[in-house]
Amino acid sequence: MSERFQITRAAELASLSVFRQFISDCCAKFRVPDGTVFELKLAVDEACTNIIEHGYKGMDPGSIILSFRIESDRILVQITDFGHVFEPAEAPKPDIEAALEDRPLGGMGLFLIYKTMDNIDYQTSEDGNILTFTKYIKRETNP
Amino acid sequence: MFKRLRVSPEPKKIGPDPGEISISQLIGDAGLPVTLKALNSLPQNPKLRLYRTLIPIQVLAEFDINPRTWKNPDKLQQVKLEAESGSDKVKITAWHGDDPKNEFFYLELADNPYNGIDLNFLIANNPASRKYRTDFDDEGRETLFGTVRRNLVEEEKAMQAGLAPGQVREGLRCSSIVFNHIETFLTMMAHHAFFLEPLTYVSAWIFEKRGFAYSKGHQLMDTIHKEFQPGGELHKALDGSTPFRQPDQWRTVRGRAWAIHDGILQVLDRKWDDLRMIKQVGRHAGVVTFPDAEY
Repeated sequence: MSERFQITRAAELASLSVFRQFISDCCAKFRVPDGTVFELKLAVDEACTNIIEHGYKGMDPGSIILSFRIESDRILVQITDFGHVFEPAEAPKPDIEAALEDRPLGGMGLFLIYKTMDNIDYQTSEDGNILTFTKYIKRETNP
Repeated sequence: MFKRLRVSPEPKKIGPDPGEISISQLIGDAGLPVTLKALNSLPQNPKLRLYRTLIPIQVLAEFDINPRTWKNPDKLQQVKLEAESGSDKVKITAWHGDDPKNEFFYLELADNPYNGIDLNFLIANNPASRKYRTDFDDEGRETLFGTVRRNLVEEEKAMQAGLAPGQVREGLRCSSIVFNHIETFLTMMAHHAFFLEPLTYVSAWIFEKRGFAYSKGHQLMDTIHKEFQPGGELHKALDGSTPFRQPDQWRTVRGRAWAIHDGILQVLDRKWDDLRMIKQVGRHAGVVTFPDAEY
């Protein structure tokens, strides 16, 4: 089993709710557990916010292509944009031990994605920046 | 949000940028993107063999042009390839009859600074259709598709005849097949995408249908659609003040395009500028900024 769905919208904050709904709708089709849906929506939200606020900074925003592929035991979400390149590996790790008042605003997005997704791949080339998350599906089994 | 991410101001070059290429290099690593400049350094015949794939045989067949020799039944040359050594561009021109100025097809590709390929021009006109002199003003100066000067009388006639801004004749309606050929060619050269700047709103709409996404300007296209709806600023500006701003024009792609060509975006303090689109080889982006559009 492998099915793929795709949606493309402008890189603007107003598109975030459309992307979240897209993930919800795709997951509902395949009865993905609620916890997994929440984590996927969170990861997509954080990644797309980053693209909107940083990737397309200083230019008339282009597109974000969000694709969703479901296989028997996992979901692959791919986010493509054509803005500035960023390097997830170079992003500073947030200090989650620090007191709340000492932490800078933001900086948690990548941390959350790494924390909730099972695999992350980021590729940049002449044809855009492609961020792919993999999330394994843990179905609840009946006793 | 990733507030502290390091953001590179420009995309990084990801491939080598060879000045020229030999046949052995060309067959050596099929995964290495090859620039047009490198291809142009090849001898004429291999260059011709490669670039010949860019012009669809169906288009040539329409005009009885042999796709191998690029000649018509009278043995007259009908297609010209410009791909000089040292240049980073390739231009292919096809014409009908014995006058090369009577061109019906013009394609220009160029290397861009990031080892990608830009489609600079694609013009495909039906030479049998009436020509509107929108490309020259009434003093005989070039209008450059109406971008630097305008021939209002001819533009109005062209609009009434169903043409889009920038067109001098009816189109050949072959963009889909031309893009397929460009993608095949680029795949052969190990490229993953190509880029272009849509000259008009009509062009952008057609390129959306052909699978392009925006690397710049998606938000502008959304704004244009929103503001052309009843109650929107562009809708209000269709006030009949010029032949290109008639009240019903918001309903069609062409109508909107002529109004934008006429400068209507000024009411939003915007202009039709700096849009950039990308076509990923083998992928349809599914962008629709004017849902259920009527052409």
